[in-house]
Order: sequence, then structure tokens, then C-alpha cells
Amino acid sequence: MSSDVLNIRVENLGKRYEIYAQPADRLKQMVLPRIGRAFGREHAYYKEFWALRDVSFEVRRGETVGIIGRNGSGKSTLLQMVCGTLHPTEGSVAVNGRIAALLELGAGFNPEFTGRENVYLSGLLYGIPENVLRSRFQSIVDFADIGDFINQPVKTYSSGMYVRLAFAIAAHVDADTLVIDEALSVGDVRFTQKCMRYLREFQKRGTLLFVSHDTGAVTNLCSRAIWLDGGRQVMDGSARDIVEHYLAAQHAADRAALGESVTVHVAADAGEPASQESHGMPEDVVDPRKALLNGEASRNLVEVFEFDPERIDSEFGAGAARIVDVQLLDGDGKAHRLIAGGEVADLSIEASVLEPISAPIFGFYVKDRLGQRIFGDNTYVSYHERPVHAQPGNRLRAHFRFRMPVLPNGDYSVDVALATGTQVSHTQQHWIHDAISFKAHESTMRHGLVGIPMHGIEIERVEA
Amino acid sequence: MISAYRLVDPLSPYRALFRHLALVVQMARRDVVGRYRGSFIGLLWSFFNPLLMLIIYTFVFGVIFKSRWSGQVGGHFQFAIILFAGLNINSMFTECANRAPTLIVENTNFVKKVVFPLETLSWSAVGSALFHLLVSTLVLLIIEWLAIGPVPWTVVLFPVVVACFLPFVAGVVWLLASLGVFLRDFKQAIGVITTALMFLAPIMYPKEIIPAEFRNWMYLNPLTAIVEASRDVLVWGRQPAWGILGLYTILSVLFAWAAFAWFERSRKGFADVL
Repeated sequence: MSSDVLNIRVENLGKRYEIYAQPADRLKQMVLPRIGRAFGREHAYYKEFWALRDVSFEVRRGETVGIIGRNGSGKSTLLQMVCGTLHPTEGSVAVNGRIAALLELGAGFNPEFTGRENVYLSGLLYGIPENVLRSRFQSIVDFADIGDFINQPVKTYSSGMYVRLAFAIAAHVDADTLVIDEALSVGDVRFTQKCMRYLREFQKRGTLLFVSHDTGAVTNLCSRAIWLDGGRQVMDGSARDIVEHYLAAQHAADRAALGESVTVHVAADAGEPASQESHGMPEDVVDPRKALLNGEASRNLVEVFEFDPERIDSEFGAGAARIVDVQLLDGDGKAHRLIAGGEVADLSIEASVLEPISAPIFGFYVKDRLGQRIFGDNTYVSYHERPVHAQPGNRLRAHFRFRMPVLPNGDYSVDVALATGTQVSHTQQHWIHDAISFKAHESTMRHGLVGIPMHGIEIERVEA
Repeated sequence: MISAYRLVDPLSPYRALFRHLALVVQMARRDVVGRYRGSFIGLLWSFFNPLLMLIIYTFVFGVIFKSRWSGQVGGHFQFAIILFAGLNINSMFTECANRAPTLIVENTNFVKKVVFPLETLSWSAVGSALFHLLVSTLVLLIIEWLAIGPVPWTVVLFPVVVACFLPFVAGVVWLLASLGVFLRDFKQAIGVITTALMFLAPIMYPKEIIPAEFRNWMYLNPLTAIVEASRDVLVWGRQPAWGILGLYTILSVLFAWAAFAWFERSRKGFADVL
């Protein structure tokens, strides 16, 4: 399947809602203005509301695109237009191939129909002939796993069952494009896992459009993301970048509501789909220990690329203090570019104070290539009984000493932050995305997010 | 995409039917079966309902009122059967018209959640009403055969009569379904309108007893021509008035076309108000 085949093309898409005080006004609007115009009078029976405007993007076959934004930012409106249930007010949407949608709570089931009837009905709507549906019916029922409820009217279903069935159908209609809107948030863990497995399989052959508030799921699943706010397209780029900017803006907005100002510096190149490699430092870093460690295949080497204040990609914060240095040291407190997984590491974060602050909290997150947060911690609990106070000109340094987990091969980065306040309500003074990055090599670990040092691995023979 | 059909094509209402035939059949079948779901004898109700009604008519009109149709011979059953032939047509229309204003409103999911060919809802409503009409007609023919004698050969023309009627009924459903979305008053008004149409058609009385100056006005009632034609073929054993039926068919098809076009034009507004 060629990856440069366009699957979805959205051009200058806009949706204007005409807010009518009563349904009859909608009818008047359909009929009367034409008559009115003939007599040279104009009168609108509605108030305008643009749910979405000037949104353009293209999705190629096989891409997985996440759409993020706050409630009311136009995500669902966009998806509904892509699926064809809403008519655009302006612009156009072109979709190639069969599109299956899981909008909000499941598909458009008829609540009075039984699950079985809805399966056939939905199948027919997707254009699957009845005899094909019959042969797939059992497989759909097995996927949904809702037992005898399949013969009950859908109105008696729990929201979880509803989504299970809807997902099961969507998974069986040979869709070229799958559109999923928040649907997975209501299923239980087991079913969500099943869906994720299916989606990962589906990604190999089809196009996926995915809306979620769960930015973790977006970075996890999507290679690319589009950020909508107030019906406008704010950014379109790699999922990881977009999620970072989105979270930063979210935080700024939350704090602004409390009367504090947090400025967000968006990196100049954001908005372009950035390639992963552009973050990396030169790879030919030579360390005296490397040759030695390379000899031991079982070691998990973590190659550290140091903090460079000139190369901060994206940061935000209220600015009462600035993080000026970040280092990942080995257990002896020496800066090394190579640290082995399973050994003690020391992450130090140094900040320079610009305005008087009290109760600073240092924190960090280690993220994988997809921006998924693997682990992290902060100083809050250790220091909330004895808050530190600092004056302008002071320098603070925090140390986190931990055993570096065994990490699967790949690129990792560390977000560091300095905040003030409490765990629950705090203001980010300075947050740096990807302050330092590192690479894990030679890992014996192939699956999972992190490995932990094994204290013993053995096989023993036991008497039957 | 405003409409998937070329609305200038007078056949577009039927293209909608055949393009989605499997869906229409599925919806109509589920509609018929769903109505009796949970009842003990289930689908048999669709048979017993008309049968019981016919027995009641016979008792009330034949035995109590001793009503006689003009030119009627025969016993108690005759009047009831004549009445029934007309009422069946009326109830087919009423069933569709009464449901139409809420057809879209009750299926909001089909408007907002999935890409559903909404235009087929009309055909499936007509389809389920058609099923009931056919069962009622079967009951009528059985009673006619038992109580009066052999049914006339003209019965084979009944499907033709019904076919002339269907475009009109489907058109009414499209029109009312669309208007019902915007004007919720239709749900209330439609009961009065269908009742008026029933009494103003020669269903409970022969056309001949209407004063001559009003008689032809009766044909303005869209039920009249079909009621008469179906009585002709089912009871009187004569061919329908082909001229009237032909004209009716033309108007019926034109109306369906216009109603379909209106429905397709107005459907883009559905999602805005539901």
C-alpha cells in the first residue's frame, strides 16, 4: 500500500452553526430570505456561531493523526464533517475509501433495536452485503463480548457495552479510514487493550483519525497531531511536539484563570512536521568507558547528550526562576555521557532565581520517543514540611538520585521543571521540554516501557 | 454533498428505494416485528387485529345499524366488507402520516451520528404499512370468500391500485418528516388532518349519496380515487376507473418527486435543529 496516496483532504473547512431560538425559525430561514431578497430586504433568523473555521490538512494513507484540543474546540465538528454527517458551511472535505466512525458514544445505533439488528443495520450502512455480514456476525459478537445482551435492545446497554459493540462493528467493515472520537475512554481496561491491539494492527494498513483528551494516548498512538482551539487550527506537526505545546498552553490557561501569567515560548520551527532526528546531538560521542562496556553485551548503555541552553526547543513558565543547567551524572556525581541501565544515576537541575519565591518544587519526567512519560518525580513531598525560600540572585540545585532503569533501545528525553505552590495547585515557573536527551543502546530488553534490575533469574526442576 | 440524487430526475425517489433496498427491507421488517415484540402471539396480531375489527364492524354496522350500501345485496357481512375495503386504504395512509412528523426526530442518531440515507426512512415506513395493508386485505378476502362467495378475478388488479397509491404516501411521509423536524406542531395537527380526510372520503358512505354539486369535489381528497378503485377490484368485481386512476398516478408521481426534492433540500438543516 503506497503511503503517498491521499486519503483525506480537508480544505479551508468551516462550519457555522446558526443558532435558532426555535426550530420553526430554521424553516423560515430556508424559505423567507429568498422572498425577502426579492423585495430587497434581508433578515436572518439566527445567531452565528463558528464551530470550526479555516482548517486545512491532508492525511496520507497509513498515517495516524491525533486531534487534540479543549472541549468545544471543534474536534467533534471536524470529525463529523470528515465522516459526512455534518455539511460544511465552507471549504471541502474529500475522503477516499470506506470510512468507519466511532463518534462520541458509539455509532448511530437505533436504541430500540437489538444489538443483533443494529449489527446488520450498521453493516448495511457501511455497504457490507447481508450475506457477508452473516458470516462475520459471530466474529463481531466475539469481539464485542457482551454475551446475551446481543439480543437485547441497545437502549438497555451500559455505555461500555455500547462502545464495545460499536467498535466490534467498525473493526469488521473493512474500513480504509477509522475515525475514533473519545470512544475508548469508556471501555474497561481489558477492552481498551483489545482495541489498542486492534488499532495497532489497523495502523499498518489503514488511516486512523483519533480524537482524545488523553494526550498520552495521542502521543502513544499517533505520529502526527493537529491542535484545534476555538475552532481554529493552532498547529499541525509531530504528535509529540503538538502535545507538549498543548499541555504548556493548557497550563498557562489554567494559571491565567487564577490571575498568574505564564508565558509560553513556542519554538520557531514548531508547526512544521519535525523529524525526530532534528533533536539529536552528533552521535559520534566518544567516551573512554564505551569500549569497555561494549564488551559486555548484556549492559544497557545510556548515552547522554548534555543540556544546552542555546538549544532549548520549547519552554514555558511564569519566569520567577529559570533553569540554567541540567545534568545527568553517574553514581559518583561525575558527568558522564554514558550511564548504564541498572546503575545509580544522579539528575541535577540548577535554577537561577529572578524573583523572590517560596516552596519551589523541582520535577522531571523521562519520556520516550513518542513523548510518553515513563517515569518522573519531584521534590514536593520531601520538602513541603520545610519549604525553601529564595531571593533574586540565588541559585538552587536539586538532585534526584535513582537507579536508572533498563530501557529499550531508543531515544529518550527529560523534561525538567521548576514550579511553586503545592502538588495540587502550582505555577510552573519554568518548564523545559527535552532539556537533555539520551539514547539507550544494547538493551536486552525488547518489549515493555522499562526494565527493572532482576534480582534473580533461574529455572528449577520441581517434583511433580 | 447536499443530495446524493439528481433532483431534476423524476425517478429519483425510486432510485433511492432501489439503491438501498436491503436497508429499506431490513428497517421495514424490523418495524413490523418490533411492533409486536414482547406480545404473546407476536406477529399473529397483525392478522387478528383486522379480523377482530371486521367482526366488530359487522356487528355494529350490519346488525345494530342495519346499514346498507346503495345497491347492496347480501347480509350483515356485506356492509362491513365494503367499509373495510375503504378503511384499509385509509389506515395505510394514516399509519404513515401519523408517524411521519416524528420519523426524523426519533432517529436523531441517524442524522447526527452516522451517514444514514435518511430518505429511505420514508420507504421503510411505507413498507411496513404496506405489509399491514396486505394482511388486512387477505383477511378481507377470506371473510368475503367465507361469507359471501367466490372473490372476483379483479382482485389481481389490487396491486396495481396500491402501486398508484404508494408514491403519494411516500411523498406525504417525506414532506411531513421534513416539516416535522422544524415545526413540532405537525405531530399534533396530523391527527386532526387524517381524521378529516377519512370522513371526507367516501369510505363510510357511498359516493352516490353525496349531493351532486359536491360529488366531484370529493376527488380532491387524495384517498377518494384509491378507496373507490380498491373497492371496485376487491368487492364489486369490476375494473377500476382507469382514467381517474391514470390521472391520479401522474399526480401521485409528481407529488412524490416534489416532496422528495424538498426533503433532500431541507435535510441539511436537520442536524442544526435536532
